[in-house]
Amino acid sequence: METLAPKIIFWFFTALMLGSALIVVHGRNLVHSGFALLATFFSAAVFYALLGADFLAGAQVLIYVGGILILLLFGVMLTNRIFDVNLKTETFQVVPSALVSAGVFAMLTLVILKTPWRQVSLLEEGPTTAKIGNLLVTTYLLPFEVASVLLLVALLGAAMLVRRRSDL
Amino acid sequence: MQRLDTIASLKYFTPEIVVVFTMMAVLLLDLVAMKRSRGERRVLIVAPALIGLAVALYYSVTLAESPAAGLFSGMVAQDGFGSLLRIVFLVTSIFVLLFTLHSRELAGVHPGELVVLLLTVTAALMWMSNSVNLLMIYLALETVSIASYVMVGYLKSDRLSNEASLKYVLFGAVSTGTMLFGMSLLYGLTGTLDLYGIRSALANQEVVVESAPALMIVVIMVLAGIGFKMATVPFHFWCPDVYTGAPTPVTAFLSVGPKVAGFAVLVRFFYAGMARPDGEAGFAMVGAVNWQAILIGISIVTMTLGNVTALLQTNLKRLLAYSSIAHAGYIMMGAVVLSGEGIQAMVAYVVIYLFMNLGAFLVVIVVHNAVGSFDLKDYAGIWRRSPLLTILMGVFLFSLMGIPPFAGFLAKWYVFAAVIRADLGWFAVVGVLNSAVGAFYYIKILKTMFLEGDDVPEPSSPLPLHPMHAGLLLLLAVPNIIGLLLWGYLDRITEYSQKLLEIL
Amino acid sequence: MIPLEYYLLVSAALFSLGLFGLLTRKNAINVLMSVELIFNSGNINLVAFSRFVGGDVEGQVFALFVIAIAACEAAVALAIVMSLFRHLKSVSLEGASALKG
Repeated sequence: METLAPKIIFWFFTALMLGSALIVVHGRNLVHSGFALLATFFSAAVFYALLGADFLAGAQVLIYVGGILILLLFGVMLTNRIFDVNLKTETFQVVPSALVSAGVFAMLTLVILKTPWRQVSLLEEGPTTAKIGNLLVTTYLLPFEVASVLLLVALLGAAMLVRRRSDL
Repeated sequence: MQRLDTIASLKYFTPEIVVVFTMMAVLLLDLVAMKRSRGERRVLIVAPALIGLAVALYYSVTLAESPAAGLFSGMVAQDGFGSLLRIVFLVTSIFVLLFTLHSRELAGVHPGELVVLLLTVTAALMWMSNSVNLLMIYLALETVSIASYVMVGYLKSDRLSNEASLKYVLFGAVSTGTMLFGMSLLYGLTGTLDLYGIRSALANQEVVVESAPALMIVVIMVLAGIGFKMATVPFHFWCPDVYTGAPTPVTAFLSVGPKVAGFAVLVRFFYAGMARPDGEAGFAMVGAVNWQAILIGISIVTMTLGNVTALLQTNLKRLLAYSSIAHAGYIMMGAVVLSGEGIQAMVAYVVIYLFMNLGAFLVVIVVHNAVGSFDLKDYAGIWRRSPLLTILMGVFLFSLMGIPPFAGFLAKWYVFAAVIRADLGWFAVVGVLNSAVGAFYYIKILKTMFLEGDDVPEPSSPLPLHPMHAGLLLLLAVPNIIGLLLWGYLDRITEYSQKLLEIL
Repeated sequence: MIPLEYYLLVSAALFSLGLFGLLTRKNAINVLMSVELIFNSGNINLVAFSRFVGGDVEGQVFALFVIAIAACEAAVALAIVMSLFRHLKSVSLEGASALKG
């Protein structure tokens, strides 16, 4: 029974993730795609939790769902006339693209299954927050600081692109 | 190679720190200067930026003599290769900053954010070319990309600028996303993010054969991201549109800065991660994938496609875009020969390319200021309106073609020599043939400027040439001309370029 | 315990679906959603490898940075889309063809 619960969770959220991803890439309605993306992000967070990455699961929900998804939905709302009943989106060249994607998936599957991944046992189970925090201020200090510059520049750039007065 | 901890590393990091602090100072100055007039604001913002870049340049030059070391717990390397490229990026930024001062395209918009973005990109380029950890490479690459997306779309009222930045961001996001997937697979194969750790893991005999298919996918996917930055085939599709739509000073920057940084990442990733020093022979590949063959193939296709497509172009910015794609192919020739000489040749080419390409773009800016167009037919008869401009453009174009006695010839010579010495003579022949094809479109530009002005009805007025532009043009042209005179200093150069190989 | 390969196959499927969306979608925001799928697939790989191959949290730190980077990229991309929308009143990629080829 103990090993059954993770399996059920895994398969359920795999189905949810791939199903919602399918809606994101092929759904007719743009707003539906947006909300399907929510399910995808959330399933990813569940996977992180299953893999023992508790901090990352929380960060995923906070940033991806709470930030990026909201931003995307704002984008959808602001660039379409949402009062149209059907927010239809068109697609082109579905069949060749489907073949290409299927081909890529087949190739990746083959490679994944044939490669003997060298697995090691996890050093210790438990919460990862302290370990991540430790790494962020010792080994990965420089990326941490560079990321702050990146965030500043993204903020600046996005604000500049969207504001109305261009001579300011 | 020693690894330095954080405090000791800071000493070697001064150029980047200076640039970042300058960026923040300019940001605050921009806020303070809001009440002043347009002209005053421009000076108030550009002057500190120039000072900051100059200070950083000074530090880069003094640091260039330092011993090789790994900084910040192995995130970033300090070596001759990185130091020289730092100087290249700083010089490029100084020139581009000056280009923005008297540009008709940028006259109507406030330059504050552009200067901030430019400074950030410069710092990020310096990080990118020094990174030796997968995470740092990815982070620096994304910083460069995101800032570039905004710079390209800077002219908000111009539809072409908007479209260009949209294409750039979508293409860029896909390429870096693919590169991320490839990097994650590499992490899975080796268990480490450090390039040197990856090298030892891949050299381990047991791992080699079985991981070959996965490694092939890794190489292809990582090349998607790096190829996007270098604008090589088949990841070059964004290049012509983005170069044409972006404001020309930004285009000039993109054609040198991120491209060179892409090559730096190429060299670091493949030489530090997937090759090892092999004594006399230079380097030997590690891991079961023959990435040298892949890169040679990409180089050939890139230069050929760039040269052939440029022949058909009538828009000068688009033509120069394809020309820079072709030059990326030539630069790659130096990077794939698995010898120290190849890397030296590549860096020499890059330095000379900076002066050739920025010069050509400055001429485009000057002509646009006067005539308002980028079409080749509007370049007709410029010889009569400004002989100086035409002669200088001739210098730049002959250098790009690779004609002696200009420095462009020297650059190609170095690269072809390195290729021939690595027993890849046929590859050099392909390069020479491509240069020959390339000559046609450069000559077409010159021909239009010199000759076809006879049916211009109105009396030709002299082309307005701002003294600052004239000064910059001369400054850029001089290295092209005296380049060949450096032949006499070859031993000094070779001795310095030995330093280029210390870290790898 | 769920084997490593299962996670990798899920992320490969996500990558392929993202690729499919990229190739077929006309609306710029849809393309962005597909790109986010690709980023997530890379992240799942990183976290899975961090657990099974790395033995340490390095992969998770990388994934954390990727999340932050993806947020920045999405913000800037959407700002560009907004800017273009003001011009064209549409974000269909078919309309963005003033720049040829």
